[in-house]
This record gives sequence, C-alpha cells and structure tokens, in this order.
Amino acid sequence: MKTKFSGILTLLLVFVVQISFAQEKTISGTISDQSGMPLPGVNIILKGTTTGTQSDFDGNYSINASVGDVLTFTYLGLVTQEITVGASNTINVTMTEDISVLDEVVVVGFGTQSKRKLTDNVVNIKSTDIANVPNPSVINNIAGKAAGVQVSQGNGKVEAGLNVRIRGQSSISAGTQPLYVLDGIPLINADESNNGAPTNPLLTLSPNEIESIDILKDASSAAIYGARGANGVVIITTKKGKEGKAKFSVNLSNGVSSRANSRDWLNAAQYIELYTEAAVNSTALLASFGIADPIAFVEGRFDRYANGTDWRNLAVDTDWEDLALRDGYTRDADFSVSGGNATTTYFFSGAYNDTKGIVQGNNLDRISVRMNIQHKLSDKFNTGMNMNYSRVDIDRIANDNAFVTPLQAIAQPAISPAFLDNGDPNPNTLYPNFLLQDKNAFYNTIIRRVTGRVFANYTIIDGLTVNTDFGYDLYGQTEDSFTGRLAPFQSTNGEAFASNVNSESYNFSNYISYDVKLPQDHDLNVVVGTEFNRAKRRFTSVTGIQFPTDDFQTINSAAEITAGSGSLTEYSFVSYFARATYSYKDKYLFKASVRRDGSSRFGKNSQFGTFTAFSGGWILSEEDFLRDSETISFLKLRASYGEVGNAEIGNFAALGLFQGVSYNQRPGIAPTQPGNSQLSWESSQQTDVGVEFGLFDSRITGELAYYNKDTDGLLFASPLPGSSGASSINQNIGRLKSKGIEFSFQTKNIVTKDLEWTTNFNIGQNDNNIVSLPDGNDVITGRNILREGEVANAFYLIEYAGVDPANGDALYNLNDGSGGTTTNPNSAERIIAGNPFPEWIGGLTNTIRYKNIDFSFTLQGEFGASIYNGGGRFQSANADFFDNQSTDQLRRWQNPGDITDVPQARLFGGNGTANSTRYLESGDFIRLRNITLGYTLPDDVLNKMGFSNVRVYLSGFNLLTFTNYDGYDPESRADSGGIGQVFYSAPAAKTVALGLNLTF
Amino acid sequence: MKKVYLFIVLIVFVFVGCEDQLNLEPAQSISVETALSSEENIRNILIGAYDEAGQAATFGGRTHIIADLLGTDDQVSWNGTFFDPREFFTKSILIDNGFVGGHWNNSYEVINQVNIVIDNLDIITSSTAEKDRIEGEAKFLRALTYFDLVRLFAQQYQVGGGNTQLGVPLRLTGIIDYSNALSIARSNVEEVYTQILNDLADAVAKLPASNDFFADQYAARALQARVYFQQGNYADARDAANDVLTNSGHSLAPTFAGAFNNDVDSVEDVFAFQVTSQTGTNQLITFYASEGNGGRGGDIGLEAGYLGLFDDPANDVRASFNYVSPNNGETLTSKYTNQFGNVPVLRAGEMHLIRAESNFREGTFVGLDPLVEVNILRGRSSATSLGALTLDLLFNERQLELAFEGHLIHDYKRTQRTVGTLPFNSNSLVLPIPQSELDTNELIEQNAGY
Repeated sequence: MKTKFSGILTLLLVFVVQISFAQEKTISGTISDQSGMPLPGVNIILKGTTTGTQSDFDGNYSINASVGDVLTFTYLGLVTQEITVGASNTINVTMTEDISVLDEVVVVGFGTQSKRKLTDNVVNIKSTDIANVPNPSVINNIAGKAAGVQVSQGNGKVEAGLNVRIRGQSSISAGTQPLYVLDGIPLINADESNNGAPTNPLLTLSPNEIESIDILKDASSAAIYGARGANGVVIITTKKGKEGKAKFSVNLSNGVSSRANSRDWLNAAQYIELYTEAAVNSTALLASFGIADPIAFVEGRFDRYANGTDWRNLAVDTDWEDLALRDGYTRDADFSVSGGNATTTYFFSGAYNDTKGIVQGNNLDRISVRMNIQHKLSDKFNTGMNMNYSRVDIDRIANDNAFVTPLQAIAQPAISPAFLDNGDPNPNTLYPNFLLQDKNAFYNTIIRRVTGRVFANYTIIDGLTVNTDFGYDLYGQTEDSFTGRLAPFQSTNGEAFASNVNSESYNFSNYISYDVKLPQDHDLNVVVGTEFNRAKRRFTSVTGIQFPTDDFQTINSAAEITAGSGSLTEYSFVSYFARATYSYKDKYLFKASVRRDGSSRFGKNSQFGTFTAFSGGWILSEEDFLRDSETISFLKLRASYGEVGNAEIGNFAALGLFQGVSYNQRPGIAPTQPGNSQLSWESSQQTDVGVEFGLFDSRITGELAYYNKDTDGLLFASPLPGSSGASSINQNIGRLKSKGIEFSFQTKNIVTKDLEWTTNFNIGQNDNNIVSLPDGNDVITGRNILREGEVANAFYLIEYAGVDPANGDALYNLNDGSGGTTTNPNSAERIIAGNPFPEWIGGLTNTIRYKNIDFSFTLQGEFGASIYNGGGRFQSANADFFDNQSTDQLRRWQNPGDITDVPQARLFGGNGTANSTRYLESGDFIRLRNITLGYTLPDDVLNKMGFSNVRVYLSGFNLLTFTNYDGYDPESRADSGGIGQVFYSAPAAKTVALGLNLTF
Repeated sequence: MKKVYLFIVLIVFVFVGCEDQLNLEPAQSISVETALSSEENIRNILIGAYDEAGQAATFGGRTHIIADLLGTDDQVSWNGTFFDPREFFTKSILIDNGFVGGHWNNSYEVINQVNIVIDNLDIITSSTAEKDRIEGEAKFLRALTYFDLVRLFAQQYQVGGGNTQLGVPLRLTGIIDYSNALSIARSNVEEVYTQILNDLADAVAKLPASNDFFADQYAARALQARVYFQQGNYADARDAANDVLTNSGHSLAPTFAGAFNNDVDSVEDVFAFQVTSQTGTNQLITFYASEGNGGRGGDIGLEAGYLGLFDDPANDVRASFNYVSPNNGETLTSKYTNQFGNVPVLRAGEMHLIRAESNFREGTFVGLDPLVEVNILRGRSSATSLGALTLDLLFNERQLELAFEGHLIHDYKRTQRTVGTLPFNSNSLVLPIPQSELDTNELIEQNAGY
C-alpha cells in the first residue's frame, strides 16, 4: 500500500514541477529609440532578481522569464520601462528620452559639471550650432548664440582677426581676448602677421572636429584659470569616438560670396562737376599758390587723371569699387569616422576648406586632420591621445593703411581708366593703382599648426582619480612676399621679404579628483592639482632688393640684403589650484576654488598672485513647496564671486630696457622701455547673481543674470610728456567697472511628431565705466580718451556743428560754455562723443522642423556703439583732395541760404575736414547672420540606400543687414590705429551655400 | 598602489622643479643697470643717439621739410595727400599735426639719450681724449637738436639779446626713472640759445679735428657759425665759418651735383647723417623724389616762383638741377635722387655764404672778399659773376644754393621778410606745442594763436 501512494505522490510532484518549468520561456525582441533606430546596450533585468542581459548591436535581446514576471528596461537618459511578461514570447520596446533627467553636461576646466547643478555662469554651444556654416572661421559662428558674448569679424578679409568680448571691455591695453583652451591646452592666440594687418591665429580650427564650445563667463568659473581668466575662457572640446560600429560622416558644401554692402561713389560726370566747382570756390587760395586760373588748373588735373582719354565726353567711367570687391566662393569638404569597442574608441577626421575672398587677391585654403583615441588599459586606467595638424595657406593683400590695398581704389577718380589699351593696369592714376600691385606682387602666409595632447587617468579607488595631461601647441608661420618692378613705389629692382616664426607652448597639468557621496545626500567633488605652462617664440626674417628680373622672386636671387632680424622670447607660468564642489540633497549647492599663479612676466617682487572664488546655488524647484508645481518645473538661484587676473602684457614689461641699434653699420644701444618696478597683475573681481527657470515642464526655460566686474590696477602704456624722452610707460593706472544684465530663454513652441518649433533668444547689456585714474588725469591717445566717470576709450572729438548757411563754412561747437560756434577747429573744445563698444547685444535663433524639412535662422544685433571713419577726411571731404568722394557730398552748400550738412566744396580748403564728430556715426545694426533650410531623406529611402542619414541643405551667411550706418559694414574695423575706427576697411562677405551631409 | 606613488612623485616633481623656470631674461635687450655700467655701453648709447637723431621725424628729413614748406610762398607746390605737410604749406597748422608731434618727441628722445651719456662720463676711464670726444659729440648733438627746436617752436631771436619770449623746455639731465614728476615749463629763447652756445663751446674745445663720419671740431664750429648767423651776430658767425673753411680741410665739391646724393661723405660735407640701404632713412627722398628714385612721385614740385629766381639760368647749372617726374609731371629737384644717400646737415657751400654775408654786413674781408667769395661759389656752378653785392642779392643767392636744405623759413625770419602775406613774426609761422605734450605736461604753455 505505502509504495503505491509514494509513487503517485512522486508522479504528482513531477507533474507539478513539470508544469511550473514549462511556464518559463524565452522572451526576445528588439529595443529601439523614438526614431526607430536599434538601441544596443540597454539593460534588461528580471525584476526582483539579479538575472539580466543587454541588448546587442542590433538592439536584440533574449532572456528567460515566466508569464507574470516583470522585465525592467533601463538606459541612461531614457525613460525606464517595466513590462510584464504575457502570453507572447516577443516583446519589442521603444524607449523615449527622459527630458527631466536629461542632464546637460558642461565642461568647466579640469572636469565637467551638470548644468543643472552648476552655480557658475557658463554657456554651452553644441556642434550643431556651429556646423555647416559657410565661413572659414569657426569662432565667428558663435555670434548671437551666447548672452553677453560679442563676436566681431574685423573686416571682410578671409584672414581677418576676430574680436571676442565677453561681458564688455574689462581691460584697456592688457589683452582683451578670452583665453582659448582646446582639450585642456591653452592655445597660442598671438597675431603674427608682418604686413600691418592682423591674421586670426584660430583659423586653424576646423568646425567639423568640434563637439562643443563652453564659455566661462564669470570669475568663479574662470578662476580655475587664474591669471589668464580675466576676459573669460572659451573651452573647445573636440569629438570623441563612441563605442559601437564605425560611423562615417561626410559633409560637402559649395557657396558663393559677394560683398555684403556697396557704397555710392561719384561717377565721372559728378566728379567733374564737383571738382570744377571746388576749384572755382578756391580761386583766392589757389592764387596764393601762384595758380591764376582755377579752371585751367583743375582741367589740367582732369587731363592728367584721365590719362589721355576724353573726359569731357565722359569716355571713361570706371567703377573702381567693382574692381576691388569681387565675387568669391567658399567650398568645404570634410569626413570623419568614429567608433570603438568597450576598451578603445576613436575619432578620425579630415577637412578641407577653399575660400576665395570678396576682396581682389585674397584667398585661403585650409586642410586639417585629427585623430582622437582613448583606450582603457584596464578598468581603472584610461589613456588617450589627441593630435591635430592644420595647414592654412593665405594669399594676402596690403593692410588698410597702405596705398596699394584694393580698398583704397575707391579713392581713384572715375575718369581714370583702370587699364591701358594694351591691357596692362594704368600706372598714371591719382593714387597707385592696386591692379599693378595685384599683378606684380604677392604676399603669401602659410600657417602650420600642430596641437596634441596625451593624457592618462587612473582610478585608485572608486571616485578617486589621478589625472595627468600633457598638451602641446606649435604655431609655425612662414610669410613670403615679392614686389616686382612694375608695382607702385618700387625703385629697387624688386624687393623680397621672407619671415619664419615658430611659437610653441607646452602645458603639463596633474590633478587628483575625488568624487564622493557621503551618507545622507551629501555629494562632494574635490580637485587638487598643478599646472606648468612654458612657451617660446623664435622669429627670423630677411629682406632683399636688386633682382636681375622679376622672374627671380626668392631671397637667394637678391643682389643686396638690406634687412634681417632674428629674435627669441619666452614666458612661463607655474600654478597650483584646488576646487571643491558640494551639494546636499541635490538642491543646496556650493563651490569654492583657489589658484596660485606665478609668471616670468612680472618682476621678482610681485611674481605670484592668488585668485580665489566661491559660488552657491539653491534649486528651489526641488523643495517641497515647489516640487509638485504644474507651472514651475525648474527654479534655481545662484550667486558667485571670484578674483581673476590678466597677465597679457609683453613678456618683459616691468623692466627698463635698452636695445641694440645700428648707425651706418656701427652698433649702438638706445632705450626702448622705461622700467617700472611697481608693475603687477591686473586683478579683476567679479560678482554674478542669476536665476535659472523652467516652466511648464521645461517648455520654457531661461536664465537671468546680473554681473559686476571690477578691474583694479589696469595695465596701460600711459603717455608721458614727449619732452621727457620717452612717450609712454607701463603702469597699473586705475580702476574699471563693467556691469550688466544678461537674459536668455528657450521656448519649445510646438512639439509634435511632425512639427517642432523652438526659439532661442538672448540679450546682454553692458555698462562700462572708468572709476579712477592716477591723479584723476585724463589719458588721451589719438581720438580715444580715458576719463573718470566715462566709458573706457570713449571717443574724444571736437563737435561738428553743420554748415553756416550764409557762406558754406564748416562750423564746430566751441563747447567752452558760450554755446557758440567757430570755423577754426583749433578753437573748439573736444567732448566725449561716443562709445566704441555696444551697450546691448542680442541674438535670436528659431529652429523649425516639419517632417523631414528643417529650417533655422539666427539674427544678431548690436546697439549703442559708435564708429569713427578715419578715411572720412579723404572720402567725404567735399572735394578737398582729388580723391573720389562719396555721393552724399553732392549735398554740398552752394548758395547763401542753403541748409545742409555738407560744407562748401573747396579744393585744398580743408573745409570741415578736421577730425570731428562729422565722421562719427552710430553703428547699431541687426544682421541675419545665418539661415538654413534642409531636407533629410525619409527613412525608407535611407534604408534602401544603406545610409543612416542624408541631408541636403541651403545655407546663407550675413545675407541681410539692417542699419543706418553709411559705411561699408557696422562690424568692420581698421587693421590698426585707434579703437573703434575704420579706415578703408573691407565689408564682410555674404555667402549662400548648398550642402550635403551623409552619415553611414 | 605603486602607480599611485608614481603619480604623487610626478606631482611633487612638478611642484618643485618648475619655479626656477620663472626667471627668464629678455634676449634682445639689456637692463638699464647694465647699460650704464660700462664704458663700452656709454659709447654705444652715443652711437644710438646718432641713429635716433637721423630718424625720419627729425634729421632724417622732416626737420628740413617743415622749414622749407613753412617758408615757401610760391616757390614750390604741394601735390601730396598727407595732411601734416600740407598744413605747413598752407600755414594753418593743427595742434595734433603728426610731423610737429614727431619732431618734438624725437628731438627730446635724442636730448635724453645724450643727457644720459653726459651724466655718465665718469665711467669713461680709458683716456681723457676719449672722454672729451664723447662729451663733445654728445653736446654737439644736443646743441643741434635744441637749435632746430627753438627755431621752429619759438619766435625768432631778436638781435642784441634780452629775448624773453617763450622758448622750449630745457632738459639737461638724463631721465631713466620715470616715476618722478616730469612736468617742466618752457625756458625763454635767450636761455635756450645760451645753452646751445655753451654746449657748442664745449664741443669745439673737446672734439678732435677729424672723427670719421661722426661730429668733429669743425662740425661744431660750422654749427656755431649757423647759430651766430641766425642770431644776427655776424662777427662771430664770420669767424666761425672762416675757421671751418680755412682749417677743416672741407671745401666745395668740384661740381654742384657732387655735393648731393652721396653714399659716402664728400669733401664738401662737414657733417651729414649717414644712410645706407640697411640703416637710416632719407625722408627727403619720400617727398621730393619720383617713384623711380624711391619717392612718392613728387609731392613737392618746383614752381616758377623758385625757378624765376635764377638770374643766369642759361649758365647756372643750379637752375636746371631738376627733372620732370614721370609720375605727375611736376618739376622735381635733383638734390634728392639717391634713396640711400646721406642727408647733409652742414656743408662748405653754406659756410661760404655765411662768411660772405657776415663780411658784407660787417664791412670786413676776413678770409675772402665777400664779392669774390660769392662769385667763386657761383663759379662752381658755372653761373656768371655778380658785379656787386646787396643784401637782397645775398638773400637770393642763399635760395639758389641752399634751397630744399631746411633753411628757407629761418632765412625769412632772420631778415624779417614777409612770407606771402604773413609778417616774419606771425604766430602762424611758429609751430604749436604738440597736443600730446599739452595733455601730459602740466607746466607747459601753448604758443599764441593756437
């Protein structure tokens, strides 16, 4: 009996077990993202157990589970999903972005921080914002994208220097440009041009390599760069490989450019009319020079300038502007491949840019290659190397102040033919004919830049990492030029110039970073380290004259070497830094940092400086009273305070120096620099207070910030009385305050599957003011003044008061309290007449996507700046010299009773041509910086073609400018000379390009 | 753990090993202390002062051009487009004129450099002769510079002394420490001339009779002649010029052309600033020469007002010592056609004219009879002899011989003639103190009329 019962029991047990085993099955499926792309690396866990798996490269997974089990699917940045196993054996999952958790990461120098918990003021610009813009200079493309950051292209030359000002002017003559850091390497940013016009050293950067640009705007963020952070820091991070199958990307674009603006100049008939009148009006003056018949005199000049053509019948009417400014193009081609596996990731890229500038004779081409590799030697040991080589080849033209620059062609009278009958350029023009220079001379600059970085980090224990970073930047530039016999001013049978500069900088930094989460919600990150930076520059040049013929163009063929130079210079920085970032419950935030910098640039007694900073923040939206708010999804208050320094002065500015000179080839020495043993750092203290908000589930996000920068001990070459034997001395002379507000917001206006529209707006206001100068005295340099209580480098000019209706004399306000006017410029008092920098700058970007079509545009505007036209005294001088005039001079006074702003035309009379506010204009403008329309091929077509993305687009750059400014371009400034001035400066180029993006 | 230690060692190494990298010395300069510590360097500073004085802003050419354009009425035309020289031509000078500011600043740079030499003469111990030579050269340069400063920036010296009109600031000690107060008032014209003559007396006493192309005793003597002449002290002018002509070994070049465009000083050059293709500058070329000769094409053209002064154009080579510019059709002087030629400052031709006119005015015959002397000078240029001398003829002869060499306005002021419609003492014929000095020097006073 017993045996039978146990047998049945066993059978039952087996049966039950069989049934339960039979219920566990294999569940499989594919996991993809919102757009249908497979997602590898998603974690799938059987809830309540440690059983799990990961999806493979094609997004497929398979796991054993029973009906009723819950499978959890998790992936960083995507919403976690829990799905109960049902009858089906296939569970496909679509994972969506988790907007509220998606943490933007910003690079803050020696580490990264999440934007959400950041207490400093840092703007992050992504690669998509700066990619695919038809312009060779990548930094140019951040204009209008960050509040308070003003980017001005110097002028329309392809190699033009850029001026980037973060939160206005915080220094006067120490460097004003921010520190550029590329993957941890502080970049050499010196203009090495030898022809009087600046070259932008950052032309070597290619946009396709850049992942993001982070701009550290306040002192607390920049303090980690200590003595070099006073003007802000622009951190450029290049792309890295990601684990996964190799991803290829190819971009091609071809654009045409033309001048963004033209001006109107007198044609032949107008020129003859105006100058004949001007000569007659100057009858008495001409008689005093012994010229009895003014009309015969001026007609003799017309004969000369017309070079034998029949000017009386307007036989020649040359449009010189059209010869100087031509149509150009910009062509880009780049490719990149990135990929990797769990231990090694890589990014390789190459890019080529070919730009023909809009000024005759100005061209650029650039190639750039990069290799970024990271390798995990073990779980704890990570190393990597970045290397980049870039070569830029530029055909250059003369600087703005040279007579042979194409832009000065506008001064040629329209009656002068540009070419002789045989096709050669006409050498008998009023001014040297730039076409002769274009044909018979060249100036070529080649920049070869190598940047590299080798790094390693080792995780000792969880959260404690030791980092070491070695960076290298080599900027090499050669310039070669030859001027042939037929070029203007050539009298030595040809002249050649060759120069070579090698500037290298290496940077070695070592730091330990410790990330720890202490119990009960304390998050701490500490970074402690040192940095050493050393740079050396070696320069040589040679000039030779007397060539056998113009076919010989290199120095070897010069019969006489007339000049040569060779010099060495160097500087170094030694720094120690520490930073601690702390947060409690993810809502109370605090950060402090300190950096001690020493530099060879300062005298032994003041060689080191210490820079501290701290900041704090409070995320109100995490508090109970706001956590469940429907309206406010994010609210953070933050404040920061820090000290930074400015070390950008010459390498030996504090020393009294004598240099070698030559007199008839005998050596001598002469003093070149008065010494100042008191010279020390320019130090800047900055306070920043801000609010960041997100409304309606982050449909609307934005931030509002107020800042106050106080710079003490401004470095300046103060003018000395000429009678003392030196004209200036380096001093720390005063205090400058710069304050303002910045506001930016982003709105996701429409977010649906087929239509998305987001708007991005930013505006910054800057108020700058000189608080004190030594002894309260004004410092005047040319047409700019430093005066207590006024804007730095304000324009200081006599005030033009229009024209006397009775006799056509130019009038100036006396400004001596009497309220009267005078015709003598020497009697008029100068007044503060304007600000060379804008008070308001802003940008507006709209991005719209409808199904597969994308459209975006960026408008950029600047308000409050004035521009002084140094060329106005020649170009708009109511026929003073024989230069061609702007057509507005036809409004000249002619008869008693005429009311006009242009004085009577008087040849050689200097009527109204003194430096005055007559040539000062408001430079307010709004510019359509960028507009793009693109179309991405639909998925099914892509799949058939085997590409993962194909996009074709049309892009425009600088297409429209709205301004009242009469000059060529409200952004152009002169190559050299006073601040805020233009002098025959080229207008910017406007470009329309067609492009193609391919990813596979 | 080993790897951790390695990193810590590395960091410590960085900490310790790098701070001495902060002591870097400039490679192309020396400090002030080094510059003033050896005899060789004091000599170097003196040579540097010649280089400074020969710069474009002063004796490289603009000093001459300012004087000639200020003095011209209808002798030349101005065809260039630069504002600064045109203001001298039209005699309406703005206080921010670049040539004015440049001349002032560069002159005082020279003065400061020679002051530094003079202050440190005690370092020169190799021989008394060497110390005297250096002192003499420094004082010559100082006198030369102050003379053109006071002639251009102040009213003309009144014969007989007692000149209380504003002159220029007298800096007589070198400044190397700029932390002290630097404002200085203008001394009066009498004080400036006294200083000039004291310096020249020292220079004459201390300089050797010949000194290569640097200043020698006769250069100082020739300059003395010019200074006395400008002061109307014709007796002393005559004696100084006579000393140069009799004892220096300098004499007229065989041809008029031989006096100009020389790469190496000719027998006629008593003192000239040296220019080579590699050093120095000749701004006279820039404004007086055609493009083919290295200039701008002929900014200053000769007019009938000048060419008509020649009484014997058929024979006088000086009347045709010019050429037509292929660039603008103007008549240009042939005195400046070698862009690397030296810039003459004092030459024998000028000494002859000083001696002759001084003899004439004093009624003496020291050295040569004045009429004979003038005719010898004219004879060098194949011009026919004059029958008799008058002050007007002597004034004219200076223009025939010395035109475009920086004498014109000074001759008009010395003889109290009218320039165009302006009297010799018009405020418009005196340069304004530059704006840059007014802005930084609290004690300086501007000239009347500006």
